[in-house]
Order: sequence, then C-alpha cells, then structure tokens
Amino acid sequence: MPRPKPNKLHDELDALLDGRPVELTDELAPLVEAADALRAELAALQLDPAVADRHLERVLQGSATVVQLPPRRQANGWDLRRRVAAVALAAALVLAPATMASAAALPGQAMYPFKLAIEQLRIASVQWSPSREAGERTRVADERLDEVQDLIELKMFNQLPNALTALGKAVVAAQVAVQEAAQEGEPVPGVAARLSLVKSVGGQVVQRAVVVAATGSVKLPDGTREAITAAATQTQSVLPPPVQSPSAATPTPTTSAGPAVPGPDPTSAPPPPASTPETTEAPPPPTTSTTPPTTDPPTTEAPTTESTATPGSAGGGDSGGAERTPAEDVPPPTLEVPAP
Amino acid sequence: MLGFGGEREAVSKVGLTATDLADARRREPAAVTRIYTAYAPALYRFFMAAVSDRHLAEDLTGTAFVSAIEALPRFRGPIGALGGWLFQIARHDLYDYRRKQARSRIEPLEDNLNEAALADGGVDPEELAIERLEGTRVLTALRELSSDQREVLLLRMAGELTAPEVADILGKTTGAVKALQHRGLASLARVLGLRSPQESQERPYPSPDPGRLTSQEEDGEDA
Repeated sequence: MPRPKPNKLHDELDALLDGRPVELTDELAPLVEAADALRAELAALQLDPAVADRHLERVLQGSATVVQLPPRRQANGWDLRRRVAAVALAAALVLAPATMASAAALPGQAMYPFKLAIEQLRIASVQWSPSREAGERTRVADERLDEVQDLIELKMFNQLPNALTALGKAVVAAQVAVQEAAQEGEPVPGVAARLSLVKSVGGQVVQRAVVVAATGSVKLPDGTREAITAAATQTQSVLPPPVQSPSAATPTPTTSAGPAVPGPDPTSAPPPPASTPETTEAPPPPTTSTTPPTTDPPTTEAPTTESTATPGSAGGGDSGGAERTPAEDVPPPTLEVPAP
Repeated sequence: MLGFGGEREAVSKVGLTATDLADARRREPAAVTRIYTAYAPALYRFFMAAVSDRHLAEDLTGTAFVSAIEALPRFRGPIGALGGWLFQIARHDLYDYRRKQARSRIEPLEDNLNEAALADGGVDPEELAIERLEGTRVLTALRELSSDQREVLLLRMAGELTAPEVADILGKTTGAVKALQHRGLASLARVLGLRSPQESQERPYPSPDPGRLTSQEEDGEDA
C-alpha cells in the first residue's frame, strides 16, 4: 500500500493557523473561520489572579528566597494591589513565628534584616488602603525611634549612624503616607498625632545623639563620632532639635508657631485638616483647637504587647527630656496586620 | 541578552531564556513566576476547554504546574521545548483525572448539578447548567469531534503549540497531526454551520468523515 504524501491542504491550513503567508482558498476559509471562533472563545477564558497567587504560593512554599515585592506605587489597578496584598499577607502569616523572634532585634543583630523584611511585607499588605498604610509607616517610624534610643542606652554607638539615617527616612515615608491618605479622602488624625509625637520625641533623641558624639565623656571608636555627627545632622533636617530646653521634659512641636503643647500626650493633638497635609508636622496651637481632642488610637492600629518593653527600657534611664510617652498614652507598635 | 562568550541567549516564543529555566530549577521565585505567567493561562484554557468546569480547571492547572516545577530538574530539553513538556504533564494529569472519574460512581447529571449548585452557594441547578454553557458555543461544538481531533485542536489553539510540538506530545507524525487538525476544523465548521462560498446548499460541508476530506487529495499526491 503506497504511503500518502504530505497533504498540501493540510500544510496550507497549518500555515494559515500559524499566521504564515499562504493564500486563503475558499475551501479553507470556513476552517480558518472555525479556528478563529475557537481561539476567540478560548481567549475569553481567563485565570483568576487570586487563583494564580494561590498556585504560585503552592509552588514557592518550599523556596527559601524571599519574594521580591514590587516597589510602592507601581501597582496599577485594584487587581494588582490585591495580588500584592494577598502574597504579602500570606508570606507574613507564614513568617509569623520569625516575626515574633525578630521584633526586638536591633541594627547589627542577626535577626534585624528579617525584621526589616517583615516590615516591608506588612506595608505591602496594607497598601490597598492609604489610611492603613499611613498607620503602618508611622508604626515603622516609631520602631526606628525605639531602636535609636535602645542603641544609645546599650551604647551600641557603631550602629547609631545608620539607625539615625533610617529614622529620618522612616519619618519622611510616614509623613508622605499621612499626607497621601488625607489627599485621598482618608484623613488619619490619630496616626497624624502619633507621627507628630514621634517627630517631637525624635527631635530630642537625635539631639541627644549629637550631644553624645560631641562630648568626650563617651569613648567612641575612630570615625564613629564623626559618622554619628554627620548622620544626626542630616536627620535633623527631618527631626529638628526641640526649641525648648531639654530640661523642660516636655517635647515641643517641630514648628514654633504657637505656644508649646504637651507633645507626649497624643490626646492633645487634634486631627489635622485633610486639605492641609503640612499640618501633620505639628499639631496646631491649643488656641485654635476647636475640634474635639483625639482620644482613640487610629482604627488601623490594634493594641498589642509587641514592644511595650522597648519604649520603657529606652526611655527609662534617659536624660535630657527624651523620655517616651507611657504605653497607655501611645499605642504601642503592633504585630498584627490591621483587620480590613 | 548575552550569555557567556558574547553569544546571544536563546529566547523562547513566550520570552523565556535558558537562565529562567536554570533559575526555576532552583525554585527562584522570580523565574518560577515568569514561567507560570508564560504558561499558566494556556494551561488553564486547555483544561477549561477539556472539562468545562472553572474550579476543576483551576485545580488541574495548579496541580500540573506544581508537578512541572517539581519535575523541572529532570527536564533536559532546551527552553523552546518547555511548553511541549508542560503540556505533556497537563495531558497526563487530565487523563489521570478522567481515569479517576471513570472509576468513581456514575451519577446522574441532575445529581451533579444539584451538588455543584450547593457548592456554589445554592444557585439554581438549571441556572448553573445554562451558565456553564453560555458563551461556549464553539467549545460545546468541540464535543462533536473525535477525541484525537479535539485533543489536537486544543493543544494547537489553547496550548498555542506548533504542529510538530503537538506531534511530539501525542507520539504521532507531524503529517498525522496536520491531518487531524484539518479534519477536526472541518467537522467544527460543519457543526457551527460555516460554509465556503462555493459550497452548494444541497451538499453539507465539510463532512465529518475523516477520510472524505483527504482521500482524493492524498490519492492524487501519492507516488
């Protein structure tokens, strides 16, 4: 039985389906039309992004590499935000035990990079909500402030330059997030008050670092003193030193437009107007505070016991008015991702 | 992209490189994600067209991809062959699923729809049945084809594979795949009521009979 040769029609149809230039004959036209109809119907079958996330999660479960999160604000559209949030949240849940272990880590310690990675994940998990993101970034700024205080207390001065720089960056990021939340119609007066407090206390702590570096009372390795001074000076552009004498023990706002307000008490910081984000830098003077005082922490923050020891230990032996607010006044940093 | 020695690194038709393949073997998230992004939509369409059930198709897609990534260290082909290899796994998984289904208790369609309706939150079974068929006229028509024809068309159209790649997966010659593709599309056109301009109204076109379309041409071309 003779073997059939390759069929010309089959080849022509195959070429047409692959988009290669072949003349479309009347005989093949309905077949191509059927193929196009099939392709069109198949193209309408789209895999749900949430399902895709679950699949990838399954595959990457055994992977040791941390998933690279996309940079903030590059997410276009709700779907992408939701996907990033889902992946980040899942990773945060998986990494919860490590989160606990790394919560108290300080710069230079083994768990510290892990702590930063967890923070990044947590920020990514709340990026769908500007107000929650502002709360999370403010919490991070507060954490950086705690670290600087702890480093001074523990005399880990070699880590101080980087910690000061990180504090300045965290405060700027929190400030931007609070402003954006207000611009997007989600004012966060409680978070703004907390950030204001962080800035107020931060100004004093940075000033204390300057004093430590300037005075010869503390023995520092070569170059560390200069590095601390340089970093502190740079950070003071964000966290200026208090106007009042540190001996007053009452941190003042970074702007001196009005009389000093009792900085450590967040209840005295009225909510800033949504249209003027700059007001997040300092609470308005009491004479203009016609709005009721904010007594509740922001809804995005859940009370927790994560680092209640840190502020206490950091502020306990402090001199120069850098004492932190008691835990009952300032919502302590939280480990929990805010509920949606 | 330049590799060692300044040679241009081969890029597959879906934009993957040998580096992606090597990285994915080590389960590097970025590379795994790139491979998933390149092939998962096609895998899903393949399964969806085969089983007509979204949740099942999603599960099969996930299972096939996990199996593929786990087996990736054993894949020795070039990056261009990865698609065909993935669909081999997908086809195997589909057969495996169907074998299990065949072994399980045969239930009346009504029971299945009631069960599915309950799982979907109490949707009316009748509505569910209609919903499953809506917008899938061509996919429904695919059921009229032989299993070989359907499989070739799905691998070609849903898997976006070439005829030689499909031939490799099915263990057939490229010519046989092209013939099945031709007959399958002819049958599909007939079921969908598509006609060529020259086709006379009295003669149905084209015949689903595989031999009829090709016998004359093949005979004429035979040596």
